[in-house]
Amino acid sequence: MKPPKRALQFLRWFCREDYLEEIEGDLIEVFDKQSASSPRAARWGFIWSVCKYLRPQFMRAFTFNVHQNARAMFRHNLTITYRNFLKYKSSFFINLIGLSSGLACTMLIYLWVSDELKVDHLHAAGDRLVEVMECQKDNGQIAVQSGTPGILAETMAQELPEIAYATTVSWTDKYTLSIDERNVQGVGVYAGKDYFYIFSFPLLQGDPQKVLTDKKSIVLSDEMAMRLFGTADNVLGKTVTWQHEKLFNVSGVFKKIPAQSTQQFDFLLTTEEMKEAHPWTQQWTNNAPSTFVVLRDGATVEAFSAKITNFVTDHGGEKGTTVFATPYSRLYLHGRFVNGVEAGGRIEYVRMFSIIAFFILLIACINFMNLSTARASRRIKEIGTKKAMGASRRALIIQYLSESMLMAMLSMACAFLLVMLLLPQFNLITGKTLTMPADAATLLSLAGLAVFAGWVAGSYPALYLSGFNPVAILKGQLQGSWSELWIRRGLVVFQFVCSVVLIVSVWVVYEQMQYTQTKNLGYNKDHLLYFEGQGKVIQNLETVIATVKNFPGVTDASSIGHSLMEFGAGSSTSSIQWEGKDPDLVVEMENVRVNYGMTEMLEVQLLAGRHYSPRFGTEDTNIIFNEAAIAAMGMQDPIGKTVTLWGKPRTIVGVVKDFHFRSFHEKVKPLFFNLAPEGTFMVMMKVEAGKEADVIARLEKFHKEYNPGFLLSYRFLDQDYQAQYVAEQRVATLSKYFAGLAILISSLGLLGLAAFTAERRLKEIGIRKIHGATNVSVVFLLMKDFTRMVLVAIVISFPISYVISKQWLDGFAYKISLQWWFFVSAGLAALMVAWFTVTLQTWRTARVSPVRTLRSE
Amino acid sequence: MKTPSLGEFEELVLLMVGALHDEAYGVAVLENLEGHLKKKLNISAVHVALKRMEDKGLVRSRFGGITEDRGGRRKKYYVMTALGKRALDHQYALRNTIYSLIPDISFSK
Repeated sequence: MKPPKRALQFLRWFCREDYLEEIEGDLIEVFDKQSASSPRAARWGFIWSVCKYLRPQFMRAFTFNVHQNARAMFRHNLTITYRNFLKYKSSFFINLIGLSSGLACTMLIYLWVSDELKVDHLHAAGDRLVEVMECQKDNGQIAVQSGTPGILAETMAQELPEIAYATTVSWTDKYTLSIDERNVQGVGVYAGKDYFYIFSFPLLQGDPQKVLTDKKSIVLSDEMAMRLFGTADNVLGKTVTWQHEKLFNVSGVFKKIPAQSTQQFDFLLTTEEMKEAHPWTQQWTNNAPSTFVVLRDGATVEAFSAKITNFVTDHGGEKGTTVFATPYSRLYLHGRFVNGVEAGGRIEYVRMFSIIAFFILLIACINFMNLSTARASRRIKEIGTKKAMGASRRALIIQYLSESMLMAMLSMACAFLLVMLLLPQFNLITGKTLTMPADAATLLSLAGLAVFAGWVAGSYPALYLSGFNPVAILKGQLQGSWSELWIRRGLVVFQFVCSVVLIVSVWVVYEQMQYTQTKNLGYNKDHLLYFEGQGKVIQNLETVIATVKNFPGVTDASSIGHSLMEFGAGSSTSSIQWEGKDPDLVVEMENVRVNYGMTEMLEVQLLAGRHYSPRFGTEDTNIIFNEAAIAAMGMQDPIGKTVTLWGKPRTIVGVVKDFHFRSFHEKVKPLFFNLAPEGTFMVMMKVEAGKEADVIARLEKFHKEYNPGFLLSYRFLDQDYQAQYVAEQRVATLSKYFAGLAILISSLGLLGLAAFTAERRLKEIGIRKIHGATNVSVVFLLMKDFTRMVLVAIVISFPISYVISKQWLDGFAYKISLQWWFFVSAGLAALMVAWFTVTLQTWRTARVSPVRTLRSE
Repeated sequence: MKTPSLGEFEELVLLMVGALHDEAYGVAVLENLEGHLKKKLNISAVHVALKRMEDKGLVRSRFGGITEDRGGRRKKYYVMTALGKRALDHQYALRNTIYSLIPDISFSK
């Protein structure tokens, strides 16, 4: 029978040392005597007696500098750690490389994520700044768009008391501004007079109340002012020529828009000017500009949103159009809508990369844990001796934790350098301008990250190693337990699961990207060069086209309303009517204004009918649809039938096969080609392969002479096509690196483990070799275990990677189907890497002469 | 020299220390006292008294040898000092003097 442990501990804790032995002895004696008759009473009696000693006479002096030798212990721990690093250099470097690359990757992703989270959060109005968006019923689906009638903001501000400020913000476009002989091209936007109240872009000069009130005002960015005037100071009131056509007075200068804003422009014009230049924006049935509103205090977004549902239809907009409001700062990350309901957006990538960062860090930490526990047998004597000398378990835990913390801090320093080194490249891939912030908060959180990593990586070995029984250790009886082996195996399996999942994901992303690049789009996007007509080019379009056509290296030329990919404002309409149309049905169709010869140049395939041609006289009462449009209208045998567009009858003369004019995320939408040469400002030409540079040089020369004062801005159509997949390309590149990193770290861990196992089995190998085992058979023997682990990992990773890839592919309307060999190849790749790593290590061990390993015992 | 004061329980413990001469340690004192007093005492009370008297110089203490019992803890033996003896004598004399002053009459019936 033993006296209650807790009570005894308590007594030892508070009792004076010089009294303790006597009191403890007497208490135990009394207890022993009493417990012979009544153990229960003895226990309670013991506890009661202990409590009775709790009086000043028996208390020890409580001082708080108990650990006089803490510093000495700390130094001792440091020395031991340092010697361990020196002794086991390979483990040290494996840990250092693994942890620092894991940390570097986490840091990069942290920078990216925190930047993404800040986008469009710059405005003082915060959540009260909302964007009003439109929902349109389109073939039974609800499509959400930011384009609204240009008159919406103004009308809302007049009629709704909840609104503090409202503004229209138009599409962006490149314009030429000039002063005297200096021409500068910049991105311009039309905006309402409250713009600078709604968006907190600081005005360096000018009064936010007045800068956009006068119709002929222009507000420049400081950068634009520099380019125009050579200075950003004292430019107010100066006159700038716009497109060599109109004069505007500089009424203000704002600071260059920061990168963390989705709205990017160089100058602002007034909405009054937009009304004059683009009168169609003032009709309720045309949608182009965005509408932004700041709500008054007390008004909620939900209530406001509910109230304005029918605002556009009530004012004579398209039937079936509803509007709603959503916080502007949310839109950047939650900008995707499926059937009218918010369905993620960039936030998915933010989440995905955060998860990846976490897992990579975890894999790196696992390496550390694995190697430390595996190495435990080497340090068992140290632990046993320490414990026998009276080291408490806590002291050992502290020792091992501080060792791993030190390792983590070292790795953090390396990671920091690595990030500095990689940041420019990372910026290039992500298209951001991230910098390593040096403020206290970031440094503190980095230190926190290091401590966390050190803690995670060190906690298991610390708890595990310190728990050994010293007697067993020193007698040499300690055997690796089964659970320990299983944990180590489990961790390796987990690492490889992560790696395989990443490999499969990279593969799928890559295949899908290949698919978007190589699939027949239904038209030919290659070698199509176009530039935007300005000034004299617009006035003499036909002459320009004819001239360009005669350039050597140009095979064909025509003009089009907009680049096929850049579908922005005013390019769609729902005002098409046909016989037997359900009056409630709204079919939104893309309106592509073309000139003669454009459809042929795009190499769009005709299913029936013909292309536009001057041979048939006036064509402005004719129309060409795509398949999807015909299907949406439910027409059979459409050629020759009549539809009504904008109130006028049109005869269908041609039907083209569906072609992918938008990204593969969406199904091909209904579309018609509308022959309207007067509305086609994009001059497009087909260039022979290899002659691009010549043609561009010639074009520049021609443009300069023919259209002085305007700057030529040309693009290739396939550039626009690629731009649609920028986000995916980024994901593809980044996940490639991450997958590489994950497999690197995992195999580093495997390398360490293989080295350790081989070392432990040196004697066994020696005996086997004496009995005639060959080097190869020894290698096989050592590889068997690892192969099994990797195979298990591969099997586990298949369903996980399947689900993840499927989910990602679901974002595309046109996609590759998942093939079994994606998974198998990824698994094989992982297996190969594992084999390679393990063989590298085991081959060395297998070749050691048995004499050397067996000589000593 | 003024003799230190003695509480009632202290006096009993001191007497017992004297009586057990050289065999007096906590539990022995406790058990003997319990035997004579016919009631349960707590060991802590004995320790309180012993320590207080040691401070006053009435008893001295020394450690005994290590034994297997008592969880390996040594016993602490107490012996009475000359001062202790004097204090007891003084107390005894005082009580006797006052006792002798009690007139016979009251109790003779």
